[in-house]
Amino acid sequence: MSGRGWIKTAAVHMLLALTCAATLYPVLWVVKMAVSPLESLSLSANPFPQHPTWRNFAAIVGAVDSSGRWLFGRNLLASLAVSTGTTVVGLFLAVTAAYALSRFKFPGKQAGLQALLISQMFPATLMLIPIYAILQRLHLLNSLGGLVLVYSTTSLPFCVWMLKGYFDTIPRDLEEAAVMDGATHWQAFVLVVLPLSRPALAVTALFSFMNAWNEFILAATLLNDATIFTLPVALQRLVGEYKVEWGMFAAGALVVSAPVMALFFALQKHLVGGLTAGGVKG
Amino acid sequence: MSAVSLKGVRKTFDGHAVIKNVDLEAQPGEFLVMVGPSGCGKTTLLRLIAGLETADAGSIAIGGREVSALPPRDRDVAMVFQSYALYPHMSVRENLAFGLRLRKFPKADIAERVSAAAELLELSPLLDRRPKALSGGQRQRVAMGRAIVRQPRVFLFDEPLSNLDTALRVQMRGELARLHRRLGATMIYVTHDQVEAMTLANRVAVFNQGEMQQVGPPLELYHRPANRFVACFLGSPSMNILPVRREGAVLRGQGFSVPVPEDLGDASSDRLLVGVRPQELLICRDGMMSGEVEAIERLGFDGYAFLSTPAGKVAARFSRDASVCVGDKVGAEPVGDAMHVFLEDGRALRHPRLSSH
Amino acid sequence: MNAIASLVVFASCLLATGAQAASPLKLWHAYRGAEEQALEKSTKLFERETGRAVELLALPYDAFAAKLIAAIPHGVGPDVFIFAHERVRQFARMGIVDPVDGAIDRRAYFPNTVDALVVDGKMYGYPLSLKCIALYVNSRLVSRIPETTDEWRAMLARMSSPKENRFGLAYESGDFYFHAPFLFGFKGALFDESGRAIFDTPEMAVSLAFVKRLQDERLIPEEASGALVKTLFNDGRAAMVISGPWFSGEIAKSVPFAVFPLPRVSETGLPMRPFLGVEAALVSARSTDREAARKLAKFLSTGEASVVRAVSAGHVPADRAAYDHRAVREDKLVAAFRRAAENALPMPNTLEMARVWEPMKLALQGALKGGVPPSGAGALADRRYRALYRPKPERASGVPYVVLAGLAAALGLYRARREVLSPELFSKRYPDAARAARYVAPAAAGIFVLVFIPFVYGAGLSFFHHDSGLYTFVGLGNFVDILASRGYRINEPLSFYFTLAVTMLWTAANVVLHVVIGLSLALILRDPLLKLKGFYRVVLIVPWAVPNYITALIWKGMFHRQFGAVNGLLQALHLEPISWFTQFSTAFAANLVTNTWLGFPFMMVVCLGALQSIPAELYEAAEVDGATSWQKFRNITLPLLRPTLLPAVILGSVWTFNMFNIIYLVSGGEPGGATDILVSESYRWAFQRNEQYGFAAAYSVLIFLVLLTWSSFTKRLTRGAQDASS
Repeated sequence: MSGRGWIKTAAVHMLLALTCAATLYPVLWVVKMAVSPLESLSLSANPFPQHPTWRNFAAIVGAVDSSGRWLFGRNLLASLAVSTGTTVVGLFLAVTAAYALSRFKFPGKQAGLQALLISQMFPATLMLIPIYAILQRLHLLNSLGGLVLVYSTTSLPFCVWMLKGYFDTIPRDLEEAAVMDGATHWQAFVLVVLPLSRPALAVTALFSFMNAWNEFILAATLLNDATIFTLPVALQRLVGEYKVEWGMFAAGALVVSAPVMALFFALQKHLVGGLTAGGVKG
Repeated sequence: MSAVSLKGVRKTFDGHAVIKNVDLEAQPGEFLVMVGPSGCGKTTLLRLIAGLETADAGSIAIGGREVSALPPRDRDVAMVFQSYALYPHMSVRENLAFGLRLRKFPKADIAERVSAAAELLELSPLLDRRPKALSGGQRQRVAMGRAIVRQPRVFLFDEPLSNLDTALRVQMRGELARLHRRLGATMIYVTHDQVEAMTLANRVAVFNQGEMQQVGPPLELYHRPANRFVACFLGSPSMNILPVRREGAVLRGQGFSVPVPEDLGDASSDRLLVGVRPQELLICRDGMMSGEVEAIERLGFDGYAFLSTPAGKVAARFSRDASVCVGDKVGAEPVGDAMHVFLEDGRALRHPRLSSH
Repeated sequence: MNAIASLVVFASCLLATGAQAASPLKLWHAYRGAEEQALEKSTKLFERETGRAVELLALPYDAFAAKLIAAIPHGVGPDVFIFAHERVRQFARMGIVDPVDGAIDRRAYFPNTVDALVVDGKMYGYPLSLKCIALYVNSRLVSRIPETTDEWRAMLARMSSPKENRFGLAYESGDFYFHAPFLFGFKGALFDESGRAIFDTPEMAVSLAFVKRLQDERLIPEEASGALVKTLFNDGRAAMVISGPWFSGEIAKSVPFAVFPLPRVSETGLPMRPFLGVEAALVSARSTDREAARKLAKFLSTGEASVVRAVSAGHVPADRAAYDHRAVREDKLVAAFRRAAENALPMPNTLEMARVWEPMKLALQGALKGGVPPSGAGALADRRYRALYRPKPERASGVPYVVLAGLAAALGLYRARREVLSPELFSKRYPDAARAARYVAPAAAGIFVLVFIPFVYGAGLSFFHHDSGLYTFVGLGNFVDILASRGYRINEPLSFYFTLAVTMLWTAANVVLHVVIGLSLALILRDPLLKLKGFYRVVLIVPWAVPNYITALIWKGMFHRQFGAVNGLLQALHLEPISWFTQFSTAFAANLVTNTWLGFPFMMVVCLGALQSIPAELYEAAEVDGATSWQKFRNITLPLLRPTLLPAVILGSVWTFNMFNIIYLVSGGEPGGATDILVSESYRWAFQRNEQYGFAAAYSVLIFLVLLTWSSFTKRLTRGAQDASS
């Protein structure tokens, strides 16, 4: 390697290392807060904890309510149920709609596609009040089912666009071959198209799950029962405008983020393929 | 009872008529090739038979049973796609077994049929590979195997060899012919390649602009084309067509004239077209017509010269020992009775009498 | 189709947790710590006594009122809720609280607590406790209690040490609730004779100047939040704290403390007078079992419950009988607050009072952090007050609008007629229509019900004026007010045009940074010879995996004036720490940094994918042609990235345009709403400024229209890119 090449490589690694440091710094900061014993805040740039303790985690995970119910467990369960439900329902809705938009000719298709994009432009504040009223009509206020429905429809436009883009890249011949092989259209879709769309499905599922897992404004508005609060809503109590318990919040933030981060990293190799082949190329 | 029978079939896409009133029958065990330029409707017709498209009018019967309203799976046909359409997420074995599995065949039965087909197509060592790991020819064979295992009444082929290189194409053509003999099934084959049509078919159906021009054994079509289109489509280089006017006992064209063949019937018009295949038009010093050589294709044993004559462009053959150069002024002379005559609208009026061979 | 239906039914069975039989009484509150425990204890007593179960729900204080207003009218609210009296009038007007007259003995409570709960002659709710703020002192650090402000200031100066982050006094100086005692101590008034709020008064200026001086002399911390106050006091770094009874529960066991009334203002000789708040148990007007709900509310306000509250949470009970108990009578904390309450000024329960907070917050911030002279801050508040409480637009007739909508619908039907009238043509043109309908139906139904209807409903709302549950049709009145920038100058925060400009700047800056950083990283990471590539990639997408509200809160913490890591870094570099949220430029930068951190990984991944799809031969060909790296980037990479990148950029811009979380949680619109973007502004109108839903909806419709224009503009761009690439 020539001298110049060596310098260039070093410079590239320096740059990347700096960027990584900037990326990780806030995360380390949270870890530090989470494991710091008292809620002692002090002006320091050092992101590494001095005297680590698990007290905050214990407090978060061990939270119980007045009648001794294990709130954290229930909240975790609620979060899991909502996120899984959203992923299943959302994926089902998105996959079928995206397939129809990719394959069939029907009146209103172009308009529908446009409408999907446009719906991304509705500010959430416009929707919050009406959604509340609608869920009441459906008797789905204060229920995780209602939350699942809202989440799966609100994340639908993005999912549909991404999946449609991906389906467009799958040759139609394959479904026709399946039909010739004796498959019904539904079988051709399920047995041929879906397995081939695995990267896009993984990414879409990931997004739906993350959306549901992380959302708190709707959840905080629609749920009125501490035992079915999702984790972010439970966490929200720690950061009220008047009292912030940073240590607890940081510990809670880590607990809440850990599962989706794990999921995210497990699926991240699909991200590049699933995202670009689909959603973005549209 | 015919294997496939089409009556009065029509199909339009977006107001554009793609199939205009086609009647066609394929006999059991027949290898029927549908040929024509791209966009002539041949693939659409195949897809209509397969059930991938629905006809606007007319009836389609397979094995004597009206199938127009049936989905593909109930028509007892199998199809090989131009792109092969192998399922990328399945191994060769799973690709072959897919149709049988959908039809809920017993496992043992599936295994048996798959291995028989693999044997036949020499795919046995590849059964556990994914399509991605196969060569073009191998993929082609898997695609055929997928049709074979089903043992359908009718095989449909949609330009199956067009993605292969020349050598492989010749080889696969041979295998296809062998397969047809072996299976004895009805096969309907779409291609734009006239060589495939001529070499594979029992009968050839020529299509143009959604209409069937002629159907018959390959040589029948070659020698007795029903019209100018068929005459030009089959054979390479294409048949020379020259406009002439009937003037008593001669047909006079631009810069040449030939005697009126004695078996030429009456025509309503004096304006006719004369057709001569380049193979039967020989370059000579001076002949029926003359012109300047514009281009030459030497094929080894013989070759073709493309002349610019007062009547238009004309292709003619020369033998390997003739010395023809671009720019030469040469003549061209038909060999024996080589004269096709067409009406101005393209219908054939007369074909050369076949010499005894 | 059946499968879909049964799936939905199954899912909803699995997830629905509807009303239970013989349902427990629902009691909502915003208590924490010792107060929450006291309440739990009292409800346990109630359960034991009546056999009726009570279900408690603790809500974050800042979301409590909005939640009540939303939930109760929809029948999903509590039976009883605990709230301070100042919103009682509004609740009564909205019809969400039930008057309690017949069932209450007014004489059992202190008269001022009863008065606080009376609206138009009717009494709403059972008074629980009196609340006001007083002076907490760390007994270890403070030996003498200041009598006057002069004395106090001298003490504070001795106890403060800016170098060590040590302060004589800590309190939430940016909150008017805590500033009120200063204002009233300086003889200030908040309302004129007609009852309208007044801000621009000499007394206001003097009181602000007093506090400003405390801050300038580093006797109190800047930008103190409740959490900071608590931390400082518990760490012994604040000798005194101004706070209410709830603070006693937050004090660490190791810190000895005592509570005293606030000192007298030397200049006027008047005591500093805090607001008196009355917390009450209110019965929901929509309670299904009002009898039991009243019983619970009454139970909480009297007898043993009062004693529990007093003894274990330091409440000052409104119930006179409670003082018959020795434990209450002798409780030092109760006694101290009762003494402090003697000087307190009952907070009016009028709408006018509710309107004071936001303008006053602005005035305090302007004076304490924003460089506005104390004498000018009142005028600032006054202007904001006038902007926020715009007069209701004229009532309009709905007829022209209905006619217009009818015409539009007729036109639509006319155009759809052809397809409807000729079914044959239809089935031929769309052979797959039936199948497509089956595939699309579930999603379409979902979108119709939960996206389309809410949108139409919301858009419809923009033609109405909302006030305490009453909607009046005002036609385009809301839009006219917004677009004419009525009540504020065009270049002032809160003007639609100012906010729009900020939003556009925000969007553009973010998208540019995301693309530049994302693309640069992708270009570096593409190098196949780069070592540790996998590691870098995984680290660099970390921000994407973190929930964005958590990101926002983390960064808000990092930008904290005193304890944030960013200022820590600046200090380590021997730079002056920055008060990030007091200036537009720095507050905007803080938002931008947060959102850039959050958003660049998405662009990086998109760019990585797009780069992969560029065939290597092109670069080889360019190399053969002797192109430099820059030429290759300029002539191959960029044009070929365009078709992939452009849709991502457009989508990204739409998301950023509506990126509520970051703005709301990081800068919170500081200073004075200057960094608010249109979405957060709309949110404030809907949920923080008197529930002006119609006005907020009009804002949202305008946001939608802006984005729609933007998208139709970009559609042309995309089409161009696609043409170029094909």
